[in-house]
Amino acid sequence: MANELSTLSSELADVVGKVANSVVAIDARPRFGSSGVLWRAGIVVTAEHTIRREEEITVTLPDGTSVPATVAGSDPGTDLAVLKVDSSAAVAPVAVAAEPAPGNLALSIGRSPDSGVNATMGIISAVSGSWRTWRGGRLDNYIRLDLTLYPGSSGGLVVNTKGEAIGIATSALSRIAGLAIPASTVNRVVEEILSRGRVARGYLGVGLQPVELPDHHKGLIVLSLEAEGPASQAGVLIGDVLVSLGGTAVNDTDDIQTVLEKHAVGQTVVAGLVRGGVAQNIGIVIGERSRRN
Amino acid sequence: MHGFGEIAERLRRSTVQVFAQGHEGGGSGVIWNSEGRIVTNSHVARASQAEVVLWDGRRLAAHLVSRDARRDLAVLQAAEGGLPSATPGDSDSLRPGELVIAIGSPLGFAGALSTGVVHSVGTIPGMGRERWVGADVRLAPGNSGGPLADAQGRVVGINTAIMNGLGIAVPANSAAEFLRRGARPSLGVTLEPVSHGLRILKVDPEGAAARASLRPGDILVGTFQRLTEMLDSGHDTLRLPFFRGDVSRLREVFVHVAPARAEAA
Repeated sequence: MANELSTLSSELADVVGKVANSVVAIDARPRFGSSGVLWRAGIVVTAEHTIRREEEITVTLPDGTSVPATVAGSDPGTDLAVLKVDSSAAVAPVAVAAEPAPGNLALSIGRSPDSGVNATMGIISAVSGSWRTWRGGRLDNYIRLDLTLYPGSSGGLVVNTKGEAIGIATSALSRIAGLAIPASTVNRVVEEILSRGRVARGYLGVGLQPVELPDHHKGLIVLSLEAEGPASQAGVLIGDVLVSLGGTAVNDTDDIQTVLEKHAVGQTVVAGLVRGGVAQNIGIVIGERSRRN
Repeated sequence: MHGFGEIAERLRRSTVQVFAQGHEGGGSGVIWNSEGRIVTNSHVARASQAEVVLWDGRRLAAHLVSRDARRDLAVLQAAEGGLPSATPGDSDSLRPGELVIAIGSPLGFAGALSTGVVHSVGTIPGMGRERWVGADVRLAPGNSGGPLADAQGRVVGINTAIMNGLGIAVPANSAAEFLRRGARPSLGVTLEPVSHGLRILKVDPEGAAARASLRPGDILVGTFQRLTEMLDSGHDTLRLPFFRGDVSRLREVFVHVAPARAEAA
């Protein structure tokens, strides 16, 4: 008594079965474990908020074996952590989907050591461009999920009905819905963590407040300066009004973050200031923001 | 095409509301065969007599045939036969991601439908060695005892619990085995683990433990797993070491746990 619904049903289960080979279970916090994705051989990506200890982390692989894992690095800003596991198993690299559209069906696939692979289904409810998380990191896209993330689902793989990766599931970046951390962001963060051990975030060491200038332009007035911070060392003074950074006009603090992301730590960026009504340029050497701050 | 609507409509006719005599609130049940055998949860069929309400509003008396508290299953026999029975499916072949639908009377709304996918199939930490079907389906208390069905309307589980929002169902194959073999032996006690073993919190006055004069406060030596293995060993009589009051003196009791056979209606 086959029908279209049972065809769809069996296709969905096939997708889960296929993707299951890339999804692992992670035990790195009390009570509930979490899920992770074998992004490539020996490299597991998961949601940073589910990694609550640095040692004695166990990963259950798709074949059911448990192996110890070490933290290669993490980026709380994007809620991503990269683990290394000792596994010789060949892993097909995760196929990345084209940008999803609202209304697309999506599956979030996780694993638990007890019951094996698990799945939840729903739709992509919203997609927009680059988005800054409340933890300070930047996602290439904001991808909101209309599906239930159960305890243990975070860190799992969100896929479309072809089994292509949309991103990593997390319940920690939004109060109202689960999000998929986009696969392109995962690739970027994984590269940075594997090459440098961390994701360096640039900073200037200034406290800023948006102000309106007499000519209807906007700027950011310097209200505080970190002693010996990058801006202070470059000669920035309290009361200066920052109007551009790296050649880009800056209207609010988000604009500053966007410019800093485009420049490496240690690079010099030119700040356009208005001091006492006179415009001037100062070069600031970008510093590195301390971790978990 | 058969959509959820058609499948739900057929399944709805095989789903009943169950009201145990002398208890507030009710649950759901599945008409397992046309002779009027109804499968529900043990925690729904809490009395020896019950009333079932069919999809068309007819009310029938029913009596308890068998219950297995460990598996949270019970079988009722309705006073009338010729009922529209459900088609059982094979829960062993269920795969995560398959579409499923649940019918029941959540919060008293009879015949309400919810849909989703199979989340997982396997054991659940803290819920023994039994296998369960986890369903990414929104359930409410009145769904208990009702059917979880696949995309062809075959019953693959009996909705039993909600854990962190996840629907938990007893696999249909366990329900079928329960109908075939009757309840597994049980002690008829509520236990909590303590340092020396398992402390008896409650004793079912009609259960095996009560007949053997075990009483609340006694501590059975061993673990849940060991006890389960003994109960499932097939022996009618179990020899249980236990402590009463004085933990330096080990006592022993013989408990007769002959399984209650599913008697004829």
